Amino acid sequence: MKRVLQILIWGVVAGVAATALATIALHRGEPISATWFVLAAVCSYLVAYRLYSAFIAAKLLALDGTRATPSERRDDGRDFVPTNKWVLFGHHFAAIAGPGPLVGPTLAAQFGYLPGTLWLIAGAAFAGCVQDFVILFCSIRRDGKTLGEMARQEVSKRGGFIAQLAVLAIMIILLGVVALVIVNALKSSPWATFTLAATIPIALLLGLYLRFIRPGRVLEASLAGVALVLFAVVAGQWVANSPAWSKAFTLSGVALTFAIIAYGFAASALPVWMLLAPRDYLSAFIKAGAIFSLAAGILLVRPHVLMPPLTRFVDGNGPVFAGKIFPFCFITIACGAISGFHSLISSGTTPKMIQRETHARFIGYGAMLMESFVGVMAMVAACAMTPGVYFAINSPAQIVGTAPEAAARTISNWGYPLSAATMASLAHSVGEQTLWNRAGGAPSLAVGMAQIFSTTIGGERLLSIWYHFAIMFEALFILTVLDAGTRVGRFMIQELGGRVWKPFGRMNWYPAILLSSAIIVAAWGYFLYQGVVDPLGGINSLWPLFGISNQLLAAVALVVATTILLKMGRVKWIWVTLLPMAWLVVITMTASYEKIFSLNPRIGFLSFADALAAQISAGAIPAAKIAETQRVIFNQRLDAAVTAVLAVMILVLVAEAIVQWHAILSRGKEPVLHETPYVATQWAEGD
Amino acid sequence: MRMAWSRTKRGLGNFWQGLREWCGDAAYENYRRCTERRGLKNVLSREQFYVEQLNKKYSRPNRCC
Repeated sequence: MKRVLQILIWGVVAGVAATALATIALHRGEPISATWFVLAAVCSYLVAYRLYSAFIAAKLLALDGTRATPSERRDDGRDFVPTNKWVLFGHHFAAIAGPGPLVGPTLAAQFGYLPGTLWLIAGAAFAGCVQDFVILFCSIRRDGKTLGEMARQEVSKRGGFIAQLAVLAIMIILLGVVALVIVNALKSSPWATFTLAATIPIALLLGLYLRFIRPGRVLEASLAGVALVLFAVVAGQWVANSPAWSKAFTLSGVALTFAIIAYGFAASALPVWMLLAPRDYLSAFIKAGAIFSLAAGILLVRPHVLMPPLTRFVDGNGPVFAGKIFPFCFITIACGAISGFHSLISSGTTPKMIQRETHARFIGYGAMLMESFVGVMAMVAACAMTPGVYFAINSPAQIVGTAPEAAARTISNWGYPLSAATMASLAHSVGEQTLWNRAGGAPSLAVGMAQIFSTTIGGERLLSIWYHFAIMFEALFILTVLDAGTRVGRFMIQELGGRVWKPFGRMNWYPAILLSSAIIVAAWGYFLYQGVVDPLGGINSLWPLFGISNQLLAAVALVVATTILLKMGRVKWIWVTLLPMAWLVVITMTASYEKIFSLNPRIGFLSFADALAAQISAGAIPAAKIAETQRVIFNQRLDAAVTAVLAVMILVLVAEAIVQWHAILSRGKEPVLHETPYVATQWAEGD
Repeated sequence: MRMAWSRTKRGLGNFWQGLREWCGDAAYENYRRCTERRGLKNVLSREQFYVEQLNKKYSRPNRCC
């Protein structure tokens, strides 16, 4: 009887998922309620978790609850700490959830709500969650080894080296791109710039408190810090209204670029307790609060999605970024569906803290479903605003022009009615001088979030506070990725440099710290600078490059997972990791090819460089702009070279893996699995 | 009524403990429990433990995009 009831309940959940998905896919004409998005996502996730993850846990991985995990065998209270599964879920989710699932779907909304929403849901269920879950399992069985170590042991030494290089490459590109998102959000906005700048002294205060006054009392310090940050959001309004202060905090893109580069260097070179860690605490609390509030706001307000399911820009001529749905939608929505970076977290701290092997399903698969839901909410927030406003905020000036009336006419001619007065009134309501050409995704997401929040609390009156709260939340979030990433990049460079010259590898030798910090900051700072001076706004070139490198890392993780599963003899079910891996290789290769060789100058790096070079030869560029144009030409060729290197790396790794797989399947080579030996758990069932 | 109150109290207590563990507030207490259980002699002070944990945490990827 109980079983029949269970089948009935799951049948109803699956039915609701199918109905909601069909509704958002087939709906045409009138705006559609966001409730359908929430229902489609939540019910699909429930079904995927109940059926697909259970299938993977039982058949593919054969999770063993009687096997002692690394946290039990090596419990030292420091690295290996048995942790309650709900707490570890929170840890893992806080680590994997970054700005990607917010920014990616917002940018992909230019195709309409449908392609992005479907990929967020299906990509997470069949690819992203699978990657996180399987890599977590593999790492648990290897005492918490990292992805690079597993690639070296299980695939080949070259595979391990490629994984390490891929991590460094993605880190540099990622940091440059996310910094560009901040610059575009803060440019010419004294309120937002002041709020974010205020978080630095607040973090320093917290750092001193936690180090010298009450060491390690994170909760009390963070709550006080969050209160100060919220006060800074309100105080930003006073700064914006004061002519003298407003002038001091109104910075150009280039000035912000150098400020962020200086911040990244300081965060990497200063002791970690002083600036980096306390900022991370602030960010974690605000992140959790803002994501929860956004979910609650969408459920309460149930806004109507005004963006059509498919826009005219499916043809590849979108103003936000150029390129057709395939492959660019799958490259743009990186982290909300699948993110290679997650495999570093799944093979980092989490496997060392997991209490039971069976918890890997809830933590690995479940946390990624939650991240995908964040992506769906970002899609709803972006698509709930008038499409004309969305395109006005996200289109660079070179596409729509700088004069508001002409730009509004261009966007209206695309079929998305807009007036310059609407944009002026919206900018005034959110306390900004202008919202035109604020590419990067963050400002449009902030407008969407602010509209949802203000409908719940405060109405029009609080729209500007909510907008700047959202901008602060996104920028704080991104700065945390930036400073933590810069520091990790510094360690990687010191480790690599230490192989050539030993003292350089000493982590506490200050000259090496300063030099390696300068190298990593210069590397991502270069990408940031080229994005800021890029005539197409930077996002058009750099976000796809970030997507390609992130998906490349996911392909690396799935190659490692497939190899391990083949060695474990799971040939029958190998399609679970093989299909998403093949899909990722196809989309990264297609996107790389198009980004390098497309004849459309808005897509192809080389054709854009050639078009600019032809303009110089034809004398179409004024003499004063020739040096700047030549720099843009060099940057485009550099981007093409970086993309080519990334593509070659994945091809080499796949070739290496195929040789391995062939040897295993043809029994030409006895597979050697590097699992730690089985030890029975000493814990009782309920522990 | 009393049962509901005690359940609420227990639930709130669990939430509070979970929050402390999630943010790292309870890390030192867990470490001390571990050193006592294993009878370790060289025990780090709260301050040393805090700095050591931070240095370890931020030397590997711990925040995703």
